Amino acid sequence: MNFIVVTMVLFSLALYGVLTRRDIVGVLASIEMMLGSATLLFVGLSRTTTVATTITPDPTHTGAIALILMVTAAAGAAVGLALLVALARKTARTRTDEITEVKG
Amino acid sequence: MELNLADIAFWLLSAISIAGAATAVFTRDVMRLTLGLGVFLLSVAGWFLYFGHAFVAIAQVFVYVGGVLVLILFAIMFLHRSEQGLPELTSRHALDSAVVAVGVAVLVITSLREYVTGQLPTVGGADAEIGVSLLGAYLPHFEAAGVLLLAALVAAVVIVGGEKR
Repeated sequence: MNFIVVTMVLFSLALYGVLTRRDIVGVLASIEMMLGSATLLFVGLSRTTTVATTITPDPTHTGAIALILMVTAAAGAAVGLALLVALARKTARTRTDEITEVKG
Repeated sequence: MELNLADIAFWLLSAISIAGAATAVFTRDVMRLTLGLGVFLLSVAGWFLYFGHAFVAIAQVFVYVGGVLVLILFAIMFLHRSEQGLPELTSRHALDSAVVAVGVAVLVITSLREYVTGQLPTVGGADAEIGVSLLGAYLPHFEAAGVLLLAALVAAVVIVGGEKR
């Protein structure tokens, strides 16, 4: 139970960062933290007993799925940072409220 | 109240991860943001160890701290090389965002709270079993993750270096 609170504190801190940051680097870092705390909640919940189901979680499957989640997040970060660099090269803007056009 | 080793590990990891995340979210300095993110990601590896997943913890250190964090550092160095010093990070909509973030946290905590009754004493899966299941039951997912990584790498190269000279 305690770890759910800790994980959600981490998640809400990261969500706050995504919503408030004006610089895209900060937003991307916060998105990584959101993904990390979601994975953490998933892994933590596999170690708990529940009243809702009688399914016993298999830690092997948790490990495999956590690895795949991690790879997905890393791929997202790579593309996001590449887009950021391309945008900064083209328009010299790196803040969310300076980007007002869709046309490239 | 008597503290055992697991409790000490729990509260220590909580403190480190929340401190790292708070630094990354509230600081105005780009380098402190990266440092806070690094502390957070390393503490997530510690959490995986706490939950008994040693292999996932090592993968977290390699993939995130060794990969994503360095990537973010490169992006910062690339973007802010010309100006005098690093720029200050700014934030806005602080109050509205705080309400949304706290609301989401309270929503998830209250909806999960009654279903979680206790913690299993078992340790996580053995590393060899994770390898077997990645190449067995999870082979399609594993292959898809590989293709996704390749696509992301190619996309990054095309997006950043795609201009004809």
